[in-house]
Amino acid sequence: MAEATAPKPSSSVKLVLLGEAAVGKSSLVLRFVNNDFQENKEPTIGAAFLTQKCNLPTRTIKFEIWDTAGQERFASLAPMYYRNAQSALVVYDLTKPTSLVKAKHWVAELQRQASPGIVIALVGNKLDLTNETTSSNPLGDDTDTDAAEGEDDGDARKVSTAEAKSYAEEEGLLFFETSAKTGINVTEVFTAIANAIPETSLKGARGPGAAQTASRTEDQSRVNLTGPRDNASKEGCAC
Amino acid sequence: MEMESLGDTKWDVVIEGTGLQHSLLALALSRSDKKILHVDGNPYYGAAEAAFSLQEVDEWIERLGRATNPTPFQNANLWKATADAESDETSKLSFSRAYTLTLSPQIIYTTSKLLSYLVSSKVYKQLEFQAVGNWWIYGADGSSLTRLPNGREDIFQDKNIDNRSKRGLMKFLKFVVDYENQSEVWEAHGENSLYSFLSSQFRLPDHLQMVISALALPLESPEKSTVNWALPRIARHLASIGRLGPGFGAVVPKWGGGAEIAQVACRAGAVGGGVYVLDCGMTDVKTVDEAEDQPVRIALSNGENVGTKLYIQNKKVEGDSSVKAVSRIVAVISSSLSSIFRSSVEGAPLAAVSVVVFPPKTLQVKNDVQENPVYIMVHSNETGECPAGQCVLYATTLHNKNSKAILELALATFSQSVEEKPSLLYSLYYEQKESKSSSLDVSFDDQILARVEEQWKEVIGQSGGDEASQFMQFEERKGMNADDEDDEGY
Repeated sequence: MAEATAPKPSSSVKLVLLGEAAVGKSSLVLRFVNNDFQENKEPTIGAAFLTQKCNLPTRTIKFEIWDTAGQERFASLAPMYYRNAQSALVVYDLTKPTSLVKAKHWVAELQRQASPGIVIALVGNKLDLTNETTSSNPLGDDTDTDAAEGEDDGDARKVSTAEAKSYAEEEGLLFFETSAKTGINVTEVFTAIANAIPETSLKGARGPGAAQTASRTEDQSRVNLTGPRDNASKEGCAC
Repeated sequence: MEMESLGDTKWDVVIEGTGLQHSLLALALSRSDKKILHVDGNPYYGAAEAAFSLQEVDEWIERLGRATNPTPFQNANLWKATADAESDETSKLSFSRAYTLTLSPQIIYTTSKLLSYLVSSKVYKQLEFQAVGNWWIYGADGSSLTRLPNGREDIFQDKNIDNRSKRGLMKFLKFVVDYENQSEVWEAHGENSLYSFLSSQFRLPDHLQMVISALALPLESPEKSTVNWALPRIARHLASIGRLGPGFGAVVPKWGGGAEIAQVACRAGAVGGGVYVLDCGMTDVKTVDEAEDQPVRIALSNGENVGTKLYIQNKKVEGDSSVKAVSRIVAVISSSLSSIFRSSVEGAPLAAVSVVVFPPKTLQVKNDVQENPVYIMVHSNETGECPAGQCVLYATTLHNKNSKAILELALATFSQSVEEKPSLLYSLYYEQKESKSSSLDVSFDDQILARVEEQWKEVIGQSGGDEASQFMQFEERKGMNADDEDDEGY
């Protein structure tokens, strides 16, 4: 096709991060955005806002990631965050069963209040504290070797993969077990979300690939606040 | 961490209310390193500028009914068309969350400082703005809707205006864009009505007086609009056109108008470390000891007590009936009204909002003549406020004894005047009183920004020094990729 050299359509996707305090929400994002991990990270003060691009074969998704950051206790940030969000990452700590209970509350609230088409991923974090750290597939069967190692290391897992996975299937959620510390499955979560977002719900989709989607008219109606003149001068001036 | 109570923090400022004004204050303070507690007695963001799903509207009406203190809103009531199982998708109401009905359908002129502050504070990237194009006026040319000439080009092309009037009109337009330098033309008439000024100085016939007055968007009858008041507003209208692109002079934020800006501003406040608690108002404020660091003690409705240096509270709404008020109807109709949104200007973006003006005396209910103009802001489904195939109409007029009937008639007349002949699916009526923190103006009032800046200075001023940087001028936050810029150039 003549469009072969045209840039891939790029769209912004708003992603909200929910979950109990200290389950590793910010760490997951830090791993995804900077490929970094901080041991004994301080609780996030203030809500964080980060962006990261995710390249898919046919399009580029730019995640706008909202972290509720230490304000979980008031639950007052969340409604403002998940408003118009196309995706949500609901995180629990797989060494802490109460955090899964909290995660289920968030899922229920999202299903009740958020945009109808929202893509929700349930993520069990801190896989590195179990005896399965070497496995890149958290859903794979435990081998005898792993089990033996687990005894030595003291497997801290308190939420079984099967339990969380069957809940996720019932509710139609994407499901992953991750370690922000080692990086296992972190990129996979975001790629899976990017792939699961229906093309028609993409906000501000641009480029030829978006021409036939519902986003086309949104493009036509969008007004650039920095104005046509500003842009021209920005591009024209090298100083 | 989770057990920590709000009272353990020494707050610099406690802000009550997440309406547009106080949310913009939170944004202005978001880089100040102040300890900020932002509370709202409502379980939602936005206060008088909130936006609701259908179910949230039901809850809002119920709460208004229970309210013990005077609120800006009163006499809310709701009508829904009976659902007909046979009808197709667009001719019946969809599910609750398919709608975002806003209490603040204000348009924002492209020359408003609000837009420059949203850009300089960098939060504009989290908002999506859409054009307010296509203005219509009813009754300027018989009982029909005609395009409201929106700028010089429109007037030249308008076949309804005879040449003699055209000359007067062009003369007026040339004058008004430069009125500040031509005080000799208008200063002596400053307190006169705009109508008489247009007639005596520019020989404009009645219907063109109507057209010009409409551009000022007065709530009162234009006969009561003074030259002093109206000229800057007409000049603003004309100066705004074309500023951000051809064919429009105003914008609205997608997904619920002012509510969306309020939330984005509060998010910026939270990113800056502000703590947000909804469903929690101020019940009592006492200044305990001037000598203390936190001289003010505030009792919150969640039972906690907090100490703070300063507080910024919602202004109490006056209970008496002398306060200016508007009547509003939010209506959902069964058509996308493509005839209304069809642009007459080449290269114009697809308008998401169209403005329809009913000048005074164009509608008649029984023996009462319509005293004040009626404005209908037509929001297409592009605004994200309703499903495809429907529109949301926001009708506003000054409150008086027959304003409800007038609004209903305006909506019915509008529906009959467009070729789609849509039917009414949903109609929410309410009255809103003016208060210092929420303006009734159908366009965004830049005075609000002046108040925000005053309050910002009051909070910042305490420490002085470097923190007193420029109002709403922020650098990009770390973590925001610099290459975001490339998305803006399309």
